[in-house]
Amino acid sequence: MPSQPPLPPLLAPYLSAQPEASLTLVSSILGATSNWLTLRFLHASLSTSSNLNASLGLGESHNGSKKVVLVSFLRGWEFWRAEAKRLGLDLARLADKKQFAFVDGLSELFSAPQTVNAMPSVPSIASGPTRTSLPFRSQPGAVPGRGPPSAAPALAMNNDNLARSQTEQGIVKKLHFSGRGIAALDALERDIASVIQLQKSSMEDGEELLLIIDQPDFLLAATGPVMGIGATEMAEWVSGLQQHVHATIVTLAADSPLIHNASTSGHQMATPVESEHAAFAISLAHRARSVMQLRTLETGAARDVSGVLRISRGGGADDSVEERELLYYIQRDGGLSVFGRGES
Amino acid sequence: MAPLNLSHRRTHNLLLISKLLSLRDTASPLTLLQDSLEQPATPLIKEYIRRAKLSKVHVTLIAFETLKAPDGVDAFVSARHKSPENIVKEVAAAYQPSTSAAPSKRRLIIIDAINPLLSSRRLDAGFHLPTFLGSFIAPASPTAKADTSLVVTYHQDVPGLPQQNPYSPSPLTMLTYLATSIITLHSFSHILAQKAARDRSLVAPVFGLKEEQEGVLLGRLDKLRGTNAAEGIVLELEHRRKSGRGVLEWYLLPPASRYSPQQVKEIVTLLDDNVLYNPPMELDTNAGDEEPKSTFELGLTERQRREREGVVLPYFDAQQGNGPGEGGRILYDMGEEDDFDEEEDEI
Repeated sequence: MPSQPPLPPLLAPYLSAQPEASLTLVSSILGATSNWLTLRFLHASLSTSSNLNASLGLGESHNGSKKVVLVSFLRGWEFWRAEAKRLGLDLARLADKKQFAFVDGLSELFSAPQTVNAMPSVPSIASGPTRTSLPFRSQPGAVPGRGPPSAAPALAMNNDNLARSQTEQGIVKKLHFSGRGIAALDALERDIASVIQLQKSSMEDGEELLLIIDQPDFLLAATGPVMGIGATEMAEWVSGLQQHVHATIVTLAADSPLIHNASTSGHQMATPVESEHAAFAISLAHRARSVMQLRTLETGAARDVSGVLRISRGGGADDSVEERELLYYIQRDGGLSVFGRGES
Repeated sequence: MAPLNLSHRRTHNLLLISKLLSLRDTASPLTLLQDSLEQPATPLIKEYIRRAKLSKVHVTLIAFETLKAPDGVDAFVSARHKSPENIVKEVAAAYQPSTSAAPSKRRLIIIDAINPLLSSRRLDAGFHLPTFLGSFIAPASPTAKADTSLVVTYHQDVPGLPQQNPYSPSPLTMLTYLATSIITLHSFSHILAQKAARDRSLVAPVFGLKEEQEGVLLGRLDKLRGTNAAEGIVLELEHRRKSGRGVLEWYLLPPASRYSPQQVKEIVTLLDDNVLYNPPMELDTNAGDEEPKSTFELGLTERQRREREGVVLPYFDAQQGNGPGEGGRILYDMGEEDDFDEEEDEI
């Protein structure tokens, strides 16, 4: 299989040009995850190698003139940093340059709100060797013992992790969920909007801000109707965030039970998670300009094909989106090749 | 029944859809558009706005989904984080008919998706859908009187909330009951594929979510794009006249690239008039004037036909009742080319 550049030519037009106020929905299933595509979106927006773009016949204007805010609900900072490194993107450096910002919706989403400094101080009380971090305890706001049960695994945290969380501190904004219903979502929106505003403050003319929300369906599944959050509220939350940025990309799971059990032709009663997820995913598809659907081959696993990418026009599409179905293959080293059916 | 019926439908039903889309005579105060991911209502809404602009109708868009106001919208009301009462108030405030203008000023209110409202958890139990919709069509203040048409889009494939009250009808039932016209949208290429399957007595194919294939949300792939073939939207219209009589018709709306934005002439056609959907019957048209080819002359000349018509067949002769024994006579009129031979021929 011929090696392709980090942005395969077939895929490049879909990744680089996002019109204003557009929503792109990326749907994945368990066997065909969307992380590689999210990374390609990052690469298309953040990579500064202009000769790559020239070789693809794209205008210079698309390149290096974008800022990205990545909100991830299923993956932490370490994952994205390591994976982006394999593509040649140094996210930490880009974050220093205020080109990139990461919002962590995973690690402390349901922990009680604490300052980043106070968090490592909780284990430091119990375990002697980490006494070196004692100065952190001088924070008066953090009351020891008020920590959530999840603080217990943190006992295993060693100095290395401690140091890492300090470097994360400047880059990563951690989301905390508190309260219920619309108010809780509004608080999350404010947190993300503050990161967006920080990025915008250093923006030059002609720069565009791209927001990537990775798997917000986790938030819906973790809260759900009992917390007063349903598909409508989540979709409103997304459109609220959309108003702050130039373009938005949302990734979602579209596994069969999450989508089809709630349909009217379903034979059994759908659970709240199933029906809320289906409503959320489908209503986002109705709003989206384009929907990129990832799935595995219907004919079973193949040695040289990882899955199928179908790009369709969503409900809010204009005629500018060309619909396609492509095959992709992710090599062992993380390299990607994208090709049409019957080609190699 | 087809030909006569078709021309009748062509005249009346095309007039009807023209009236409905151009909002003439407020033919339909509440139109319900039922769309799906396979065929979103966006092109039809654009067509509504285009026609409204041509006839200088005031357009208000109540946006539950749309972020940016499309071209041609006079008032854009974002419904995000707003209670139904506030939406009604804002919509009423968005349009102030000047008293000096013509008294019958028309207004179009479009709701881009009603689903978020119907499945919102913020709604109190007192929310009443008919009142909400009615307050747009017939505002409480008589000063703001205008001929208002309301177009509501409902996404059929978005699952709604489970019924709170098992005895009350579902919101969709309520909407279809209230609506004066219901337009269900289909993709033309899907309709063609389903018709092709039906013509062969096969099970009609399904697309998109209905395929129930893992990872597939949308089945639409415009393979036909650019071939100028099966582009367009099929509109399945159910219109309730004031008399109570219902009209059912299938129409085809061509894609917007096929006509100029200023075009006034009707662009919607009957689906049955489409060549792809209803191809002309090859055999019927040709059989009339062409005969099987042969080296023999199988036709009749005019004279031969006349003489053949003049022949009295034996059973007509037998019915004259000239008594028994007369049957079986040979009836023969001599022609001028017959050569009578006394010895051989006996009559």
